[in-house]
Amino acid sequence: MAYEPPKQSFAGQIFDVITLLVLTIGALYIPLYLGLAGAAKVPDPIPDPTWEALGQNATEQQQWVALGITDPAAANDIITARFDYSFSWTSLIVMAVLVIGYFVMVVRLSDREYREVIEERFGTKRR
Amino acid sequence: MDDTTSAAAEPDRLRLLRVLGPAHVWALGVGIVLVGEYMGWNFSVGKGGMIAGLMACWVAGLLYTCVAMIDSEVTSTVAAAGGQYAQAKHIVGPLMAFNVGLFLVMAYTMLEAANAITVGFLLDTVAGMRGQAGLNQQPFIVLAIMFLAWLNYRGVLATLTFNLVITAIAFLAIVALFVSVQFGASAVPLDFSAITSDPLPYGWLGIVASLHFGLWYYLGIEGTCQAAEEVRSPARSLPYGTMAGIMTLLIAATMTWYICSGLMPWEYLGQAGTPLFDAARVTGSTGLMVLLFVGTAFATLASANGCINDASRAWFSMSRDRYLPSWFGAVHPVYRTPYRAIVFLVPIALIFALGAPLDQVVTFSILSGLLGYTFMTFNMVMFRNKWPLGKIKRGYVHPFHPLPTVVLLILCSTAYFAVFLGYGTQLSAMMCFYIVASLWFHFRRYKFVRRGDQFTMPWPKPHGY
Amino acid sequence: MWDILEYAAWALSALFGVLMLADLVRIDTTYDNELLISSREGEIEATAERHEI
Repeated sequence: MAYEPPKQSFAGQIFDVITLLVLTIGALYIPLYLGLAGAAKVPDPIPDPTWEALGQNATEQQQWVALGITDPAAANDIITARFDYSFSWTSLIVMAVLVIGYFVMVVRLSDREYREVIEERFGTKRR
Repeated sequence: MDDTTSAAAEPDRLRLLRVLGPAHVWALGVGIVLVGEYMGWNFSVGKGGMIAGLMACWVAGLLYTCVAMIDSEVTSTVAAAGGQYAQAKHIVGPLMAFNVGLFLVMAYTMLEAANAITVGFLLDTVAGMRGQAGLNQQPFIVLAIMFLAWLNYRGVLATLTFNLVITAIAFLAIVALFVSVQFGASAVPLDFSAITSDPLPYGWLGIVASLHFGLWYYLGIEGTCQAAEEVRSPARSLPYGTMAGIMTLLIAATMTWYICSGLMPWEYLGQAGTPLFDAARVTGSTGLMVLLFVGTAFATLASANGCINDASRAWFSMSRDRYLPSWFGAVHPVYRTPYRAIVFLVPIALIFALGAPLDQVVTFSILSGLLGYTFMTFNMVMFRNKWPLGKIKRGYVHPFHPLPTVVLLILCSTAYFAVFLGYGTQLSAMMCFYIVASLWFHFRRYKFVRRGDQFTMPWPKPHGY
Repeated sequence: MWDILEYAAWALSALFGVLMLADLVRIDTTYDNELLISSREGEIEATAERHEI
């Protein structure tokens, strides 16, 4: 006996699409509004920059000039900027639990639904 | 249609048109991805230094070779529009399929938005060079999306033939730049001294961190399987086109790294907006500059074009199964395209292209892709377990079975860690999004889905059920 | 020059948008919705390939 789904009204279809859209846009913009997004490089400019002090050899100096940056002071920020890779183990563990937990949940619920599908398609289970 | 396996087949049903060959599959796969060589990959150099950039290029290449091998086997067997979505539905189950469908729509729509933003940025640069500062980029962003959506609406053959041409030109531009620099066309010599003088500015952690953007070299190659219902002979064309695509990309990626790292100081390269165009500027040759400008423009357009194609196929297939409102599961009676899905996704892409910053959009796209690759690992294992070799006919069987899966899983875990270094908030926001969406699907949406109809392949009952 | 290009881009965008929407409305009113959403997955298998050994 096959499962017969209810027919969805047009308003219901629109409502469902809007729900998904709100979720998507929320996920993208909420970190942005909370100001938590993105990893920034922090420049650490040195005083009195010269190409030599910035560690640029003769060829590299030529390359900077070809890119339109003739003054070492203008390249100071670009050259000295570095990422900060320090992190807390707690947040790493939270992250791991979140990712693994998500996959476990999805696979388990999927399996439950999948058994229904197979049963309806191929007749009763033999187990 | 006159075959006996499809009992429900009626004479007047609309279907997508089966017109594509392996070259189109190649164009769809490479077209989406090649833009990664023109922009974005170089942030991996910024995150870890020059050597880390090359290691990320090759490690990500290995990851994607595994993806291509696994995908070729499964998709040459489960050949349906929606690609990985249809795979998940037959192999893992409905909720997983819903999630995979969302990964695909998100990854491609976000990538499309990122491409449109880049088109605007590029035109702004050119306008700036010609003395017009502060170009209003919005009309060009909108135009790029509108034109490509219209092309997609009008039919898949024209769309992907267009993609084939512009992708080939963009690829040849990279080759031309490489060859001419090798033969001394550059005013400034290649310099790799940073490899010895400043090898790993962040130590070994930098190599891991750079993997995040190393994915950019190849992100989207798995999109080839979206075309499964429009390819003339999916079991042959899809593996062939995908494998040819990944080889093309490995070559292009290595050449790109070599030229850019040689022609630019790594500190500059690590933050450049359009690295290949910049490399052409360093050579001082106007011809190369024009060529690489054209290449950049074509690569972004080809990518956006492929993304519209893939995202709409995924949205369409989900609607056809009523995972989403069935209204979207319509096929155009003349052009045979999923026209409602194409039109619906246009405003969504516009919202992201006009409203969100580029790196956000890109990270969302990368993360959705990464979740999709993680899914492929256990999908492959379950596929071989539920239907062992010899039980059903496979178009292609990949060698060394558990090995690519294991490698892929290890590399995916590393990539999560790489994203976590610096973009942890986005990762959690996105995981929460997918968890909430999953619960919504399981408890609300799934009641509209016909159970047995979801399984459409003429296969025997899976082993163990 | 660039101002003209901007207007041209807006105009072309609108044109493509209108073309798509007009065709969508035309198709939706001409054909029966049941026919339009009649596509089913897996019909490839029925026509071209059999997964049997």
